[in-house]
Amino acid sequence: MTRAVRKHVWVLSLAVLLALLLAVTKLIQPSFGVSGLESVARAALPFAFATAGMAVVVIVGGIDLSVASMMAVCAVTAAVLMERMAGVPALIIVLAAGLLMGAINGALIVLTRVPDIVVTLAMLFVWEGAALLILETPGGAVADWLEAGIRGSFLIDGLPKALLAIALCVALVWVPIRRAKLGLSIYAVGSDELAAFRSGVSVGWTKVGAYGICGLFCAFGGLSLAALTGIGEPVPGPYLLASVAAVVLGGVVLGGGKGGLLGPILAVFILRIIRTILTLLAVDPNVTTIIEGTIMVAVVMLGTAVTRRRGSQ
Amino acid sequence: MKNLIYGAATISIAASLASAVYAAGHNAYTIGVSNTVQGNGWREQMICAMQAQALVEGDVANLIVAHRNTDSAGQLEDINNLIEAGVDAIVLNPSNPDALNSALEAAMAQDIVVVAVDAGVTAEGAYILSNNQEEYAYLGAKWLFEQLGGSGDVVYMRGIAGVSADTDRDNGFKRALAEFSDINVVHEVFTGWQQDQGKQQMFDFLATGIPFDGVWTSGIDNVIVDAFVESGAELVPIVGADNAGFVQYLTEVEGLRGAAVTNPGSVGGAGIALAVDILNGEAPDSKTVLVDPVLWENGTDAGRATIMAAQNPNLDPEWPVSVTVPGWTDYTMQQIIACEGPGDG
Repeated sequence: MTRAVRKHVWVLSLAVLLALLLAVTKLIQPSFGVSGLESVARAALPFAFATAGMAVVVIVGGIDLSVASMMAVCAVTAAVLMERMAGVPALIIVLAAGLLMGAINGALIVLTRVPDIVVTLAMLFVWEGAALLILETPGGAVADWLEAGIRGSFLIDGLPKALLAIALCVALVWVPIRRAKLGLSIYAVGSDELAAFRSGVSVGWTKVGAYGICGLFCAFGGLSLAALTGIGEPVPGPYLLASVAAVVLGGVVLGGGKGGLLGPILAVFILRIIRTILTLLAVDPNVTTIIEGTIMVAVVMLGTAVTRRRGSQ
Repeated sequence: MKNLIYGAATISIAASLASAVYAAGHNAYTIGVSNTVQGNGWREQMICAMQAQALVEGDVANLIVAHRNTDSAGQLEDINNLIEAGVDAIVLNPSNPDALNSALEAAMAQDIVVVAVDAGVTAEGAYILSNNQEEYAYLGAKWLFEQLGGSGDVVYMRGIAGVSADTDRDNGFKRALAEFSDINVVHEVFTGWQQDQGKQQMFDFLATGIPFDGVWTSGIDNVIVDAFVESGAELVPIVGADNAGFVQYLTEVEGLRGAAVTNPGSVGGAGIALAVDILNGEAPDSKTVLVDPVLWENGTDAGRATIMAAQNPNLDPEWPVSVTVPGWTDYTMQQIIACEGPGDG
């Protein structure tokens, strides 16, 4: 029991912090309730998927700077396709496109041996241009069921559909992979590439797989953007840096090999609820980002200090 | 860590109690503002106009400003947060006319007044207050064609294809053109509202040697004057916007005959005034309110006097120089420069 707690101390602390922040929100704004939870969950949707994708490539020891651009490509593809064809096939095409874009990123890194950060920086511009080619100005349409799928609560009040969508999509993709050979390989390559290679892990294919999963999560992110706005926007949103921040805050080690997806997604909710609190308190907008950044650094520093002390005991 | 969290919670509770006491003492409106472009002179003037107008409106106790660089999904988040904050009205500069409807409809369902400034939204029931872009183009084009004596060749430098402001301005330009049958458009280009692009295009036109008698620009103006001066070409009448740089040229560049048409970012302040009017039960008859532009020319004494009066060295050089919207805003020049809303300072 204590061992399990110690192993997951970071994720548990994040959950406690999130609960406390929700309580603070309720104290500041007594009317904050079901609709507030729903809007926080909806706001978290694109960030959560971008973060999940980023977390997977960080665990394999890389980084993907093109997440926001891939999301934009998927969002405009969804909006263009759904204007012309049925929603379900369009959805499948978008998910396939995301997977393919991610795999291309991974393949380029493996084949060219150029560092991840350089390849994905270049691909950031490539995918950004592709999104503009698909749709020059914001437009298109989104299937009604997709828009309705993230609005309101499921079965009971206070269980936002958007939250359920995040949990389902991430679990469906990640849980089977995490338990399969690919999941083990991802962690192995992330902690020590050479050791993994000598143990018979196919480093190249593992990386392509990890980047492909990232692309798939970006496709979910793009779909959620389209579902939120009802249109496709070709210009990438602020998801790159936000996802790196959430990954770090979520306890994933930037060098790779350590961490999971639950922590980063909790971190996404923490960052969203902090913005809600700052809006409720009418904090000067120019000060808001300073506070967000300070809280992030403070939490990571405190967390590192705590876990290091625990580890040395 | 626990102590820190407890500390933070205590501070938050104290802050919320303080603001509750403040609100109880004044018993007036809270207005939320949402904007998605930060660091652009026009938008910063818009935000400061909102702050200044909220300060002078007696009925506004608090202004919550969500002002950052983000996409439509981020603006949805901000609007939803403003709804949670219990605002009485939301004044926004929409990132897209269609993308925000879900949040705006949710706001209006709770009797929150929604006013879109600068650009429209398609959500039914929302008020729209913006500069009259068609009139903006018509005024400037008509002035230019009159300067040419009703006949001649002009260069038509537009903004961005497909953007509603450009489409509206094109309608206004075409309306003026229809009134002057002897005016020909020799070059029509999109500057993309980019200074360097517009300047290069003018260099190219001057280099081709095809003569023209006047230039109409969609706000990329001072660099066009630069292009003439740098290539040594003889200046022709030029129409621009009331950007500080162009307005300064109108008073300083020798031989420049030109006019600035106002496109004030201070429509933001007018948006706050409109929201307060609606909350006080004085809603206008139409859901769409257009602010008509004014033309300042440097050829007449009255025009020159207006231009001189509008210039203020304390103004941010990136701001449009028309800092008020007559008939709507009530603040002073000092107040908009101070950029402080109710509860600040």
